[in-house]
Amino acid sequence: MSRLDQAFVALADPTRRGIVVRLARSEASVSDLVGHFSLTQPTISSHLKVLESAGLISRRKVAQSRLCKLVPERLKSVTNWLEQVQEIWEGNYKRLDALLSELKQVETKEQKR
Amino acid sequence: MMKPAEASLPSDTEVLVKRSFDAPATLVWRAYMEPDLMRRWCAGLPGWSMPVCEMDMRVGGRYRWRWRSDENGQEFGFTGEVLEVTPHAKIVHTQLVDVGDQADSKGSAPASWADAGGSIVTVTLHEANGITHVTTTIKYASKADRDAAVETGMTDGMEMSYTQLDRVLGEM
Repeated sequence: MSRLDQAFVALADPTRRGIVVRLARSEASVSDLVGHFSLTQPTISSHLKVLESAGLISRRKVAQSRLCKLVPERLKSVTNWLEQVQEIWEGNYKRLDALLSELKQVETKEQKR
Repeated sequence: MMKPAEASLPSDTEVLVKRSFDAPATLVWRAYMEPDLMRRWCAGLPGWSMPVCEMDMRVGGRYRWRWRSDENGQEFGFTGEVLEVTPHAKIVHTQLVDVGDQADSKGSAPASWADAGGSIVTVTLHEANGITHVTTTIKYASKADRDAAVETGMTDGMEMSYTQLDRVLGEM
């Protein structure tokens, strides 16, 4: 599985998205996150493992605890891709909007006749 | 003004794009079915023309779309077979990259859409209160193929590669 794809899978889960949102504010330890989400430590740890292998977060040891930090570049690469896809389609769809309004006018005129 | 297109990844092998149009489904359908109309909205990418837009949109029919760069004459395109047609509601077709007459073309045609890294495209139309909601699902043969499409789109940030451009554009 490619890393970008892993990132998409990681972000498909609402708890993991919640963790990402929380880490966007500041670094946090596992116990901070356990308290924040009212989930068990093993549950939080397994979510963190998925986020880490997708490259979305990094972890470092400070004294007894491991601090989790968001990797914003990774997150950006995911949103960039979807934005690019949307931009290309939207360009075509805007032309389709124009075409449809033209077709509607033609139809109205024909009905009046 | 309609909300802009929304892209998402609903499963391991799919890409989904949603958009609504301020027009009845009968007109949206025509814009997808008639080559002259299709060309009007699929050929407008700046710097690109659409020299080929052939479509026989009946079950078992084939289509061929090609785009050409004004700048260097480079071409890309799509071809495929129509699998399912429900008037004003649904069209399903296969989609293969059509390498065409390029010098670096791969030669013999692959045996099936899946072998060619192709996809199955499903377009659905649903009209409510005069607004037509359109969904386009592009299903790749495997996760690896979907990943390849995703990864290609990543090349150098906003720099659009031909592969992604054709994959995405061609569904239109």
